[in-house]
Amino acid sequence: MQQLARLLRDFKKHNNGWLWISLLAAAIILLPLLAILASVGKAPNENWSHITEYMLKDYVLQSVWLVLFTGILTVLLGVILAWLMAGHDFPLRKFFRWAMYLPLTIPPYIGAYTYGNMFSYTGTVQTTLRSMGIKLDQAYFDIMSMQGAVFIFTMFLFPYVYMITVSFLEKQSGSYIENARLLGRTPVAVFTRVVLPISRPAIVGGVTLVAFEVLSDYGVVNYYGIQTFTTAIFSTWFGMYDIESATRLAAFFMIGIVSLLALERLLRGHRKFSATTSKNSPLAPIRLKGISRWGATAFCLLVLAVSFVIPVGQLFVWAGWTYEEVLLTSDFLEMTFNTISVAFLATAFIMLLSIVVANMTRIMNNSFGAALAKVLTLGYSIPGAIVAIGVLSIFIWADERLAPLYSWMGRGDAPLILSLSLGMMVVAYIIRFTATGYNSVEVGFEKIGLKYMEASRMLGIGFTRTFFKVDLPLIKGALLSGTLLTFIEIVKELPLALLLRPFNFDTLATKSYQYASDERIFSAAVPSLFIIAVSLISIIVLHQAGKRVV
Amino acid sequence: MSIVAINKLTFTYSSKKLCVIDDFSFSMNKGEIVGVVGESGCGKSTLLRLIAGLETPLSGKIDISEVTVVDSRTFVPPERRGVGMVFQDYALFPHLTVAKNIEFGLHRLSRSARSARVKEMVELVALAGMENRYPHELSGGQQQRVALARALAPKPTLLLMDEPFSNLDAALKAAIRSELREILKKAEMTCLFVTHDQQDVDALCDRTIKMGERIAVQSERISS
Repeated sequence: MQQLARLLRDFKKHNNGWLWISLLAAAIILLPLLAILASVGKAPNENWSHITEYMLKDYVLQSVWLVLFTGILTVLLGVILAWLMAGHDFPLRKFFRWAMYLPLTIPPYIGAYTYGNMFSYTGTVQTTLRSMGIKLDQAYFDIMSMQGAVFIFTMFLFPYVYMITVSFLEKQSGSYIENARLLGRTPVAVFTRVVLPISRPAIVGGVTLVAFEVLSDYGVVNYYGIQTFTTAIFSTWFGMYDIESATRLAAFFMIGIVSLLALERLLRGHRKFSATTSKNSPLAPIRLKGISRWGATAFCLLVLAVSFVIPVGQLFVWAGWTYEEVLLTSDFLEMTFNTISVAFLATAFIMLLSIVVANMTRIMNNSFGAALAKVLTLGYSIPGAIVAIGVLSIFIWADERLAPLYSWMGRGDAPLILSLSLGMMVVAYIIRFTATGYNSVEVGFEKIGLKYMEASRMLGIGFTRTFFKVDLPLIKGALLSGTLLTFIEIVKELPLALLLRPFNFDTLATKSYQYASDERIFSAAVPSLFIIAVSLISIIVLHQAGKRVV
Repeated sequence: MSIVAINKLTFTYSSKKLCVIDDFSFSMNKGEIVGVVGESGCGKSTLLRLIAGLETPLSGKIDISEVTVVDSRTFVPPERRGVGMVFQDYALFPHLTVAKNIEFGLHRLSRSARSARVKEMVELVALAGMENRYPHELSGGQQQRVALARALAPKPTLLLMDEPFSNLDAALKAAIRSELREILKKAEMTCLFVTHDQQDVDALCDRTIKMGERIAVQSERISS
């Protein structure tokens, strides 16, 4: 009885608008994912045996290979670069230190069709070689393949591993590495015996992000004709028009991904590599001498050229041929406006929900709050195609339920209103990208702590007014960078936009992808450069934020 | 009239750990200055946070001005308890000036009453001329006085102070201690404050309670 009264008291303590908005946010994110899982319980239809027999195994295997090889190569490239930057000094190091973030501004699908075209028979590479009189077997230029896709993902995603590892090494590893050097280990031994093991948490963090990106990709694999489980969902949906089976597929993939995540958690266990001493001396780089000095510079230059300079240069050349036609004749203005308005709408909702839930969880400080935070950031680990299916099934369900209302309003007997609206796209973006906004807000709140809020409440100001008078002005910076980063993620996004956009609704990403798929690659250059330019802002924001932390 | 009455208060941070505060009872009258002493980690600050409403007890009851603010079925939120608090690190709002910090809790007053009260408080803690500075432009002692002025401005029924001198150097401490007793007595303030310094107790308190043993030990101030 006492217990019950106490429970009621604690509920009343937190029972305010903030709690209900938080629960609503959790519901928006969880419902579509639960809808997918629920489909496992239904009996499969006649297509299902065909899918399991002819598609499932190969598609899953291709996905696994893609993630595995990309993972290995991004770790290799990312960690080597990070160790080079953090532990060594060579010409132009300071420039490369941040320039290695630049490849992130090119979404892999843009990289894929740029390189795909450059290596084609009529592309820049082969025509140049032919003009020099060199004729090579076509097999050497076969980039539209598994190897090609791994190459593309590696070149444009390795900065995730690099970024986390380099800042980890710079800040935390000084004493360990200097000790290893003093103990007379060779550079190779220092790298393999000390650098690799201590930066494992950073590497795992980076490569997890890479894996999410690869699994979520549709643009690269579809353009290169690789069958992954994302394309399996797409082709079941659009090829067979069988949403039921597509949902069922999505459910199995989701279960697979969730168990992989659980496995990773389990493997990481409670091993800590970072905090045996709280005093972390920054690592002092050693000067490279002789050949290795310029070798390091040349290596960085090569990586940057392949992963940024060459594709961007090529896009500029193509844009030079087509910009008049694209900018003037097509509906370029309209799709820019579409892109910005959808991204703006979704970002506004995301930031609002992030603020409410982050503020709520920090005062609740219990396992319920922690669960709420987990739910809100869940969508980032769920591939876009799966999110799309979940959202679609919820919206179709809602339309079915609302059908009587529609016919009463004189909109016909069984129309699809919600599921043909922009709302569906916005909800999908909320599910997928709330993690980006939420993490920024959470960092902001962590930095200011609870003391200002407590001081304000002790002065008679309620929770909500305290937020506006105290917390909001103090987390402004974090809020701004979170907004910007979320906005840019949405501008770049492709699979969700392709799957859920209303009829005749194009964004920069969908249009440039369509140009590329329609063999009008040169016309894709202008919107692609727009997307890259917008992404560049996010790199600058991240860079500035990083500087402030140091 | 008893300003604070605590009855059989028990608190724990997590259900698996031992109780930080176990079956604690205590009361204080209007105008009293009471010091809470005891070793670190014995629950002194937690006691203040429980009275303030920043933590919720496992069981027990707290009355403030003979109104129950927390028991097993009631919880009055901190902003409606009429309790002021000076935090250990002051928690002055970094985005507001000295005057705005002091004015923060005066939202129920009219504009003119508000500025009169701010002026009064600024004079009380001898900070005239500093009104437009930001907290980071003040010395530790000045910040401490702003925190005190901010807490006293809305005329709380009870003032809680959590190790108010811990961030000050020894010379400053001595000066502020004697000032503080005067300010508090002048304002007829009931005050409960946490310290681990016997000199604080000698200079300020009417009596002390010692925490950390099963029963709080009380001792009266010998000379006042």
